[in-house]
Amino acid sequence: MDGNLAGEHQSGAMQVVMIGLGEEKFALDAGLVREIIDPVPVTKVAGARAFVPSVINVRGNVIPLADLRIRFGMPQLDNSADTRIVVIELDFDGEPVLVGLTADKVYEVTEIAQTDVQQTPRVGMHWKPEFIRFIAKWREEFVIVPNMERILN
Amino acid sequence: MSAMDPTEIFRQEASELFEVLEGALLDLGQRPDDRELVDSAFRALHTIKGSGAMFGFDKVASFTHEFETAFDRVRKGEIKPTQELISVALAAKDYIRALIEDPQSTDDVIGEAILDDLKRFVSFDQPAAAVVEIAEAPPLAPGGSKQASWHLYLEFESHILRNGSNPLDLLEDLCKLGPCFVVPVTDGIPFLDEMEPEDCYLKWDVKLHAACDKDAIDDVFMFVQDELKLTLSPLEHVEAPAPAPLFQLLDEEPAPMAEMPAPPVELPAAPVAEQPVVKTEPKSRPEPKPEAKREERGIATVRVQAERLDELMDRVGELVIAQARLTQLAASGSDLSIKMIAEEIERLASSLRDTTMGARMVPIGSLFGRFRRLVHDLSRDLSKPVEFVTSGEDTELDKTMIECLADPLVHLIRNAIDHGIEDNATRAANGKTEQGRIELAAVHSGAQVLVTVKDNGGGLNTARIRAKAEEQGLIAAGAVLTDHEIHQFLFHPGFSTAQTISALSGRGVGMDVVKRTIENMRGSIDLSTRPGQGTTVTLRLPLTLAIIEGLLIRVGEGRYIIPLPAVEECVELTAEDERSRGRNFLNVRGNLVPFLRLREIMSSSGSPDKHQKTIIISTGETRVGLVADQIIGNHQTVIKSLSKLHSDVTIFSGATILGDGTAALILDVAQLVAMAQSKVEKQHISEAA
Repeated sequence: MDGNLAGEHQSGAMQVVMIGLGEEKFALDAGLVREIIDPVPVTKVAGARAFVPSVINVRGNVIPLADLRIRFGMPQLDNSADTRIVVIELDFDGEPVLVGLTADKVYEVTEIAQTDVQQTPRVGMHWKPEFIRFIAKWREEFVIVPNMERILN
Repeated sequence: MSAMDPTEIFRQEASELFEVLEGALLDLGQRPDDRELVDSAFRALHTIKGSGAMFGFDKVASFTHEFETAFDRVRKGEIKPTQELISVALAAKDYIRALIEDPQSTDDVIGEAILDDLKRFVSFDQPAAAVVEIAEAPPLAPGGSKQASWHLYLEFESHILRNGSNPLDLLEDLCKLGPCFVVPVTDGIPFLDEMEPEDCYLKWDVKLHAACDKDAIDDVFMFVQDELKLTLSPLEHVEAPAPAPLFQLLDEEPAPMAEMPAPPVELPAAPVAEQPVVKTEPKSRPEPKPEAKREERGIATVRVQAERLDELMDRVGELVIAQARLTQLAASGSDLSIKMIAEEIERLASSLRDTTMGARMVPIGSLFGRFRRLVHDLSRDLSKPVEFVTSGEDTELDKTMIECLADPLVHLIRNAIDHGIEDNATRAANGKTEQGRIELAAVHSGAQVLVTVKDNGGGLNTARIRAKAEEQGLIAAGAVLTDHEIHQFLFHPGFSTAQTISALSGRGVGMDVVKRTIENMRGSIDLSTRPGQGTTVTLRLPLTLAIIEGLLIRVGEGRYIIPLPAVEECVELTAEDERSRGRNFLNVRGNLVPFLRLREIMSSSGSPDKHQKTIIISTGETRVGLVADQIIGNHQTVIKSLSKLHSDVTIFSGATILGDGTAALILDVAQLVAMAQSKVEKQHISEAA
């Protein structure tokens, strides 16, 4: 992860997909994102961990649908016209795994410049620091770049 | 089809040849007098050598050559293939395999050591046994096998040259046996405009003046025996030695002449020059035998990459899902023609599915073959003579399952030999035959395949397993357990009763891995044992991993699939059963069947349907009812595995996609029952406390 980050620093900018969860904005590394789809019927998985409560069918593949809002202790909003599912590909133990993420809103694909990157402050955060790769500044707002592997493990 | 790397093709071919070689060598250990086995081993060796040289595996070629040379005396019947010799030959085979697969890791020293061993066995043997062998070998030669001179008539198939075989080389080899008088028979040569430059039109009439036996002559033509009509008869009256000129012509001319491109001249006087030789490499690829065998069986086979089959299966899976949606759509409409098309497509999809699954089926015999070597080596290392019997080799299983089965079976067979079969002294004391017996069998049983590993050893020591379980704190001392329950501890991680750890087993890893692997394949494992008579381990496996027949049910809002093979019957939950909250038992024709409410397990919301249905399933010996809101019906279930994020959820073995595009989960009934049982146990413990 950190090595990856260093690489991005050298190239100067990082392509991200900006999504909204509750009141917060998160920047997902665009390299992870496979597709963004409209909400589909979900299938509840009894006994699964709360942040991966269900599975969905995406083009013939059954993939888990994760809810970051639960991981970050946010209230779950009902699906609105803005709700989307962002399908990302993560690497678990060397195997690529597709995961869907519920987003209350998807804003845009954008770049965060190297200079915008801020170190995660040690205090003043009510989220687990290991869930956060770093905090970046985007249009005068602070956005969180989450560490998806950690969040989903 | 993209062109494959030729080296890769060679590797694949070689690995098949190694199987042939190994099989032949092992059989030879059992039936040392079977000439056919020696020949087939030799053919495999020879092909490996030839192809190896062709693809630039020079080390392989040279080592195999040495191996061949050393083994030659076995072929000639001069020495008997003893167990020791077979072992060395197997080691040599392994070395060649290493040379091909991972040349970096091999060491020339090992190769030399193996060759030395081989040569030692081959040369130390007294030739006394040989005479006997030879005497019984050639049935053709009347009046003794040694003959002062022979008359041969050689007629090759016209395509012989295209296989890279060179008749001239064979004649040359023949000349090495003794003076030859070779006369070409040219009556088969057509006119120039009819001549195929790559065909062989010449026949030969050979008088061989040598006191050799028939086998020696056969050996010369060993690799072309399928393409050669050889008439061999002993010459009664001894003629004068062959005239020098012709002999010399044969001996010297081939090399320069062979390179000439077929001069199509009708000159019977210079028959050798007429030889249209295509390839001058004599040892290029003499591989007629396996091909000929395939032809005999009349089955044309195509080599397909396994991934392509997997892809095909995926596509068929998607087709089945799309077809289910079409059927659903057609059923809801009133257009008769669409309904007809939907039915037609349903029929086609289902037969396409069956065909595709059939293409993925592989006979399990390919797997069984591998274990013969394992048994041979183990039986030698542990000095426990073991007879290895396999049956049901032609039982077919999905190829991915065959691959997954290899490791578990290795564990089971090792265990059977190491722990199961007693040592010689114990066997003798118990009045058993000295030779132990391991049976590996596969048989179809409904939608399942049963693979059993059976030994006739001492059986499981229930008392010792129990003691060990108590020692490890798995059970309380004095707990009442059935033997069956005690045996289950063998599958516990880190559980081993072996008093000493051998190189082979006793580390306590193995049985739990076996169990997990089998369960991952949606199979189960049974153990049965009789003290003093042996242990049988039975693996129950589904036929395929990709598609199953399932029963679609609804629980609350959710729909689930129960694998149909597990379903025994469906009954309605009566109002009486419904009322009794305290006892979750059904009365099914006088039998007491416990039931689980799926609504509770799935924590469904909403109120249950008025008439609850119970699906009676069986897992192992347990029968359990599952209470659902509705039974929707039969469903062709294309299995999609759940991702690692859901690996902690055990009650589902996978998911599938329904006709309306939503995902439905497949219930793992064994896990479901196990979970319910452990829940009840925990409840009891907490109540007791």
